[in-house]
Amino acid sequence: MNEQVETIVEYIQKRCLWQFFSRAWDRSENINGILTKAGEIFAGETPSTSTEADKCWAADAKILVAEMKSAFPWFKSLDKSKAKELLDGVRKRMREIAIDKSRNGELNIENY
Amino acid sequence: MTLFKCDSQIPEREKHCYIKAPGEDTTQYLPSADIATIPGTLSERGCSYCGAKLVIGGVLKDAIQMIHGPIGCAYLTWHTKRYPSDNDNFQLKYVWSTGVKEKNVVFGAEKILKQSILEAFDAMPNIKKMMLYTTCATALIGDDPKAVAAEVMEERPDVDIFVTECPGFAGVSQSKGHHVLNIAWFKEKVGQVEPKITSKYTVNYIGDYNIQGDSFIWNDYFTRMGIQVIAHFTGNATYDECRSMHRAQLSVCNCARSAGYIANELKKRYGIPRLDVDSWGFNQSAEALRKVGAFFGLEAEAEKLIAEELAKYAPKLERYKAGLKGKKMCIWTGGPRLWHWTHAVEEELGIQVVAMSSKFGHQEDFEKVIARGPMGTVYIDDGNELEFFEVIDMMHPDIIFTGPRVGDLVKKVHIPYINGHAYHNGPYQGFEGFVNMARDIYNATHSPLWKFAGEDIRNIPEVPAAEVKEAV
Repeated sequence: MNEQVETIVEYIQKRCLWQFFSRAWDRSENINGILTKAGEIFAGETPSTSTEADKCWAADAKILVAEMKSAFPWFKSLDKSKAKELLDGVRKRMREIAIDKSRNGELNIENY
Repeated sequence: MTLFKCDSQIPEREKHCYIKAPGEDTTQYLPSADIATIPGTLSERGCSYCGAKLVIGGVLKDAIQMIHGPIGCAYLTWHTKRYPSDNDNFQLKYVWSTGVKEKNVVFGAEKILKQSILEAFDAMPNIKKMMLYTTCATALIGDDPKAVAAEVMEERPDVDIFVTECPGFAGVSQSKGHHVLNIAWFKEKVGQVEPKITSKYTVNYIGDYNIQGDSFIWNDYFTRMGIQVIAHFTGNATYDECRSMHRAQLSVCNCARSAGYIANELKKRYGIPRLDVDSWGFNQSAEALRKVGAFFGLEAEAEKLIAEELAKYAPKLERYKAGLKGKKMCIWTGGPRLWHWTHAVEEELGIQVVAMSSKFGHQEDFEKVIARGPMGTVYIDDGNELEFFEVIDMMHPDIIFTGPRVGDLVKKVHIPYINGHAYHNGPYQGFEGFVNMARDIYNATHSPLWKFAGEDIRNIPEVPAAEVKEAV
C-alpha cells in the first residue's frame, strides 16, 4: 500500500495546484475537501455540493479520479475499503509535504 | 543546495540555488525566495512599482495611466509589454507622467499632480477612469496622492481614480507591486459596480494579462461553453469590470503569484471559490476546461470545445513535435511560468527543461516547480548573470525562455532566446497558443543563423574580385 500511496502522491505533486495554495489553512481545506470528495466519487456516491467550496472541490476531485483511473489501472480495481485506505494514506502524506513539514516560511502568515 | 563557482565571493547565494536529486523533496530542500537581493549580485529583478503598473494596472483598457514621478518611470513602462485590447489598444498608445523634477522634490509635487490629472482628463474627455501610481521620488518626498485624487473626484464627480502607493523601493521585487495593487483594489474598488448578468454561469478569470491575445482565447472558450466572464483580472478588462468581481460564482486563477491575493480575498469575503489552472499546453488547457465544466455541470460543453480545438490544432502541433524532441530548454522568467510550462513542454513536446530561474517567485512557486520539474534540473531564485553563464556551460541548452535583457546576453553566446514574458509570436495560451509556442521554439532551434553567427569570418580566404563578378 505504501508504494501505491507514493505513486499517487507523486502524480498529485506533478499535476495538482490545489495542494500549494498560499496558506496552511487553504492547503488543509483543499487536501481534505478534494480527497474526501475523491473517495466519494470513487465509491460511486454523489458528493455533496451544498456550498460553492464543495462544488469546487468536487470539480477538482472528479477530474483527479478520472485521471488516476486512466493512469493507473490498479487504482480502478481497488475495492471501496482499499481505496479509502489508499486515499487516507495520500491525505496524510500530502499534509506532511505541503503543510506539516513544508519549509515555506509564508504558510502561517495571518493575512494574504 | 548548490553554490556556483561564480558565487564564491557571495556564499549567501547557496540558499537560492538547488539541483534536484533522486529521493529528495521540498520538505528537505527549498530555495529561499522573495528576500532582499544580496549586494554584489547582478540581479535581473524589476522594481515593485513595475509589478503594480507594468504587470497588472497598466493592462486596463479604459483608464488613464498617470505616473507620479520623473519621466523615466513612465518611459520604462510605456508600450514595453505586448498586451493588446479590443478598443484599439488605448492602453498601449498613451501614458501620462507628472514629469517630476528637482524643484518639485524640494518644494513638493502635489500641485503638478493635480494639474496633470485635470489636464489628462481634459485631453481625453471620453475617459473617466484613472490609475495613479506613486514612484520612489514622490513617495520619498511625502506627497499624498490619495488626498489629491479625492480632491479631484470631489470637483469632478464623473471621474474615478485608483491610487497605487507602491514605489519601486517598497519591496524586494515586482512581487510587492502585485500584492499592493491586488489588496488595495480589492479593498477600495471591488463591490462598487453591479455587472449586467447575462448567463447562469459566471467566472472571473484571474491572473491573465492578455499577452498577445491570451485573454481573447480564454474569453472565447468560456463564451462557447455558455459562461459569462465578469472580469478578466486584468487582460483586456475595463476598470468597471474589475470593480464587479464580487458577482462571479467562481474565480479561475491562472497566475497565482501576481493575482492569487485577490482570488484569496474574494474567497474570504464573498465565498467565491478559487480554482487554480494551468492555461498553457493542450493537456493542461483541456484539464482546466474540464474542471470548469465540472463545476458548472457543463461537462458536455467542455468536451465539445476540447474536441473542436484538438481537431483544429493537434495536426498543427504534430508538425513541430518531432523536431523538438530532446531539445534542452531553460525557463528564466518571473515565477509562475516555470511551473506552468515545465510539465507541458516535457509531456507534450518531449523537451527537457534543464534549468529554471525565477525573478520574483516566492517559496510557494518553488514548491510547485520542484514538485513538477525533472531530476537533475537547476532551480534558481533571483538568478544573476554569472550564474546564468555557468548554467549554460553545465547544461548546454538549445533554447532559453527569458526577458529581453538576459535574452540579449545569451544571444551573444549563440543560443536562441524567446521572450518568455511577452512572447515572440503569441498568444501562447490554450490550444492555438501552444502551437504558436511550439512553432517559435522550432524556428529558434532550427535556424541556421546560430551556426553562422559562431563562425569567425576573419579566417575565411578572400575571394578574388574577378570570381565574385563572375558569380554575380
